[in-house]
Amino acid sequence: MSRTGVFVCHCGSNIAGALDVERVAAAAGKLPGVRYAASYKYMCSEQGQQLVKDAIAEHELDRIVIASCSPRMHENTFRKLLKDTPVNPYMLEIANIREQCAWVHADREQATEKAVDLVRMAVAKVAKNKPLHSSFIPVHKKALVIGAGIAGIQAALDIADAGYEVTLLEKESSIGGHMVMLDKTFPTLDCSACISTPKMSEVAAHPNITLMTGSTVESVGGYVGNFDVAIRQKARYVNHDICTGCGLCETKCPAKVTSEFNQALCTRTAVFRPFPQAVPAKPVIDPESCRKLIGKAKCGVCQAVCPLGAIDFEDKDKLITDTYGAIVVATGYELVDWAPLYPEYGGGKYSDVITGLQYERLVNASGPTEGKILRPSDKSVPKDVVIVKCVGSRDKKKGRAYCSRACCMYSAKHAHQILEKIPGARVTVFYMDVRTPGKNYEEFYDRAREDGARYVRGRVAKIFRENGKLICRGEDTLLGRGVEVPADMVILETAMTPAQDIRELCAKLTISTDEYGWVQEAHPKLRPVETQTAGVYLAGACQGPKDIPDTVAQAGAAAAKVCILFSKNEIEGSPMISAVDENKCCGCSACVRVCPYRAVMLEEIDSRELSGAVKRQVARVNAGLCQGCGACAASCRTGAIDLLGFTNAQILKEVDALCL
Amino acid sequence: MSDIQSALRERARELLEDGKVEYVIGWESARGEDKTRPAFIRKAEDAGRLVWNRFCVNSTAKYLLHDRWPKGKIAVCARGCDTRAINRMLSDGQIKRENVYILGIPCEGVENKICQRCAHRNPLVYDELLGESVEEKTDFDRFANVREMQEMTLEQRRKMWEDEFTKCIRCYACRNVCPACSCRECYADQYRTGWQGKQFNSVENRVYGLTRAYHVGDRCIECGECERVCPMDLPIMLQTGKMLMQCNELFGDYECGLSADEIPALGTYNLNDADSFG
Repeated sequence: MSRTGVFVCHCGSNIAGALDVERVAAAAGKLPGVRYAASYKYMCSEQGQQLVKDAIAEHELDRIVIASCSPRMHENTFRKLLKDTPVNPYMLEIANIREQCAWVHADREQATEKAVDLVRMAVAKVAKNKPLHSSFIPVHKKALVIGAGIAGIQAALDIADAGYEVTLLEKESSIGGHMVMLDKTFPTLDCSACISTPKMSEVAAHPNITLMTGSTVESVGGYVGNFDVAIRQKARYVNHDICTGCGLCETKCPAKVTSEFNQALCTRTAVFRPFPQAVPAKPVIDPESCRKLIGKAKCGVCQAVCPLGAIDFEDKDKLITDTYGAIVVATGYELVDWAPLYPEYGGGKYSDVITGLQYERLVNASGPTEGKILRPSDKSVPKDVVIVKCVGSRDKKKGRAYCSRACCMYSAKHAHQILEKIPGARVTVFYMDVRTPGKNYEEFYDRAREDGARYVRGRVAKIFRENGKLICRGEDTLLGRGVEVPADMVILETAMTPAQDIRELCAKLTISTDEYGWVQEAHPKLRPVETQTAGVYLAGACQGPKDIPDTVAQAGAAAAKVCILFSKNEIEGSPMISAVDENKCCGCSACVRVCPYRAVMLEEIDSRELSGAVKRQVARVNAGLCQGCGACAASCRTGAIDLLGFTNAQILKEVDALCL
Repeated sequence: MSDIQSALRERARELLEDGKVEYVIGWESARGEDKTRPAFIRKAEDAGRLVWNRFCVNSTAKYLLHDRWPKGKIAVCARGCDTRAINRMLSDGQIKRENVYILGIPCEGVENKICQRCAHRNPLVYDELLGESVEEKTDFDRFANVREMQEMTLEQRRKMWEDEFTKCIRCYACRNVCPACSCRECYADQYRTGWQGKQFNSVENRVYGLTRAYHVGDRCIECGECERVCPMDLPIMLQTGKMLMQCNELFGDYECGLSADEIPALGTYNLNDADSFG
């Protein structure tokens, strides 16, 4: 017979206020196997913990039940307590009589009865608990950062500065992400490139950072401390070991395609650097527009002019594999493709209806107009400018209910810049709300209004051309009447959306996304940079829309988590993982297929069967990969897999305790 | 049919004489001309015992599970349904293709009512085909019986299943004959685990029936052996038929045992799966 102790917590008045804790403790004392039952005001307090320790010693308890708050709250507190006693930390069950009872029931009598039921179930379950012991996994102290925008750059620099090796992966040919496209940054109006390019060159020069551009994650295996990652480095067709970045090839290339970096406002060549400050500062050939590579023409001009012979049309994709202890996902965001969503704004047919990011390139000194605000259609200076906020954001009908967070400040900056640079300009901002919760943000918004920006509360319903003007028709919801504002140029502050291939990457990393594709954090408040997969962390806008200060802060936090992991030589794995009974396992691989962490594999074992000694396949759980979700246990028809700590026997006992 | 029978005897004899196979699983006459039983032919001179006629109702494939680690190859006479059963067991990792030599037999249906709803009369996988391929049937509703059941009211359905499970004698014949049942120890045979009460009553019978349906539902190859062998005539295929019909509705065309590398609908997840469970 087990020797169970039951400890009922009052949680101040949280529990005691809603149900009769004394009656719960008294009822628990009569349950089979219970040697001691008591209640106390705060079980998690120093005194409460001492009470548990004393009871274990005095009554020779071999397992305990704590009736208190959710196990997510204090299960670890009590596990730690048990480490100082003869009782194994896993001979513990928590009966959640707070969140699942006291907080949700108004009737004291019924709540008390339910609490007794919950305690009875926990007592029945703990009788079937078995001592569990942690395993230890070695840590490979090298980090992989996926995405080299400001989030990835910051995370990589922080980890590298702490003394650990980092591989920084970027799918484009240069690092820098969206931040280097921007002109000025709110609310201080410092030049975006001036503050980000030094970080870019620091990355390139850092002895602990290996930079891999034009590269994507091909596959991920392994587990925390030991991820085996295959990286595909796309063919560059330019040998960067030889190339000096002189740029001669770029001046001679005859192929012209729209420039992604300049948001389609101008063209680039097929052999190109996306922008002059690119890191690495060496060109690559875009195989989709190079005349020779698509086989349209013999061309090869770049090869002919290159004085060093760095052009290599035979270049192939490379597959590189390495082991990493931790992975930081920093894949950032994209802007919504607004044109198909907004036929009412012309759906892209008016060239003077541009996005905020296109405007950034227009106003940027290194952009296509060298910083002069000239509207795309006729290169004239726009006098009347309308800025429309929440294009694609905060609109369920357009598919996104969320706020993109940066646009309110972004549009105030745009208004300010136009009023400053174009004398006599008139700027109208259509807004739903103005959200400025950041240091010096409200002041910046005030400044834009003081500059003369006219804020009209309402959405623009339609944009159409009339007499050479773009007419923005909408409603001023404060005045309750329709408005029509004629404009020379319209700037749409479009919604942030997750990177297109994010779901594919998440599947490889066995992490999840929300309905929009933003990567899911482990806990929205308490574990915002962790994911459900140990050793995979989040930085920046891949987790949700963010501005630069928040992104940099989160990147630092992710780096700190990586450094914490790397500060140990080995990490303690949870013993609450799946275990296979090889005698029962028939090797059908149902568990292999359902495991979201790729932790179960088939393995051949020697087995003695009626027909003699044979080899047969059975499931094997990788302790490092298993996260204890129990999907395999549920899929196993024969019950050969058990989740330790939640074994079938334990759960059936709980059910029996409630139903029989 | 007699052409196939003589070809079958001929090939079985040759395979055994040449030592290419250890034994041949097929059918032989027993208890009169209108009955057969499974035959296991080990000697070339016994090959003449093999028969092929419309009374060859037993599925041959499941016997492969009784000899998972054979010394040589096992030749098996396989109709369309038997080859689907072989694919089932290959997909479940229960047998190895190299251990099996498949003598494919095109079949126009035997004395089994399930044959009226057979969409695969020709073997789907074989090492050699005996006789000519036959035309496939398409003029039937695969889930007619399920649709008929759905016409009933909830109360009528409850009563029907209650009555059916009261009849069940838990002989487990449906399990023993099923090619999707390949556990080393069936949950129903395990004691002191609490899964399946050993009591013999309609409640425990129903637990068995439902659990069986869930264990095999998305892997059922529709051979109908469970219903054929049931001594109490329970409409067992109605349960798996219902599950298969739902798999078809949720995941598109879904039929099991058509290839050895298929993945069961409920044993996998992909991002494009319908989430409309209800």
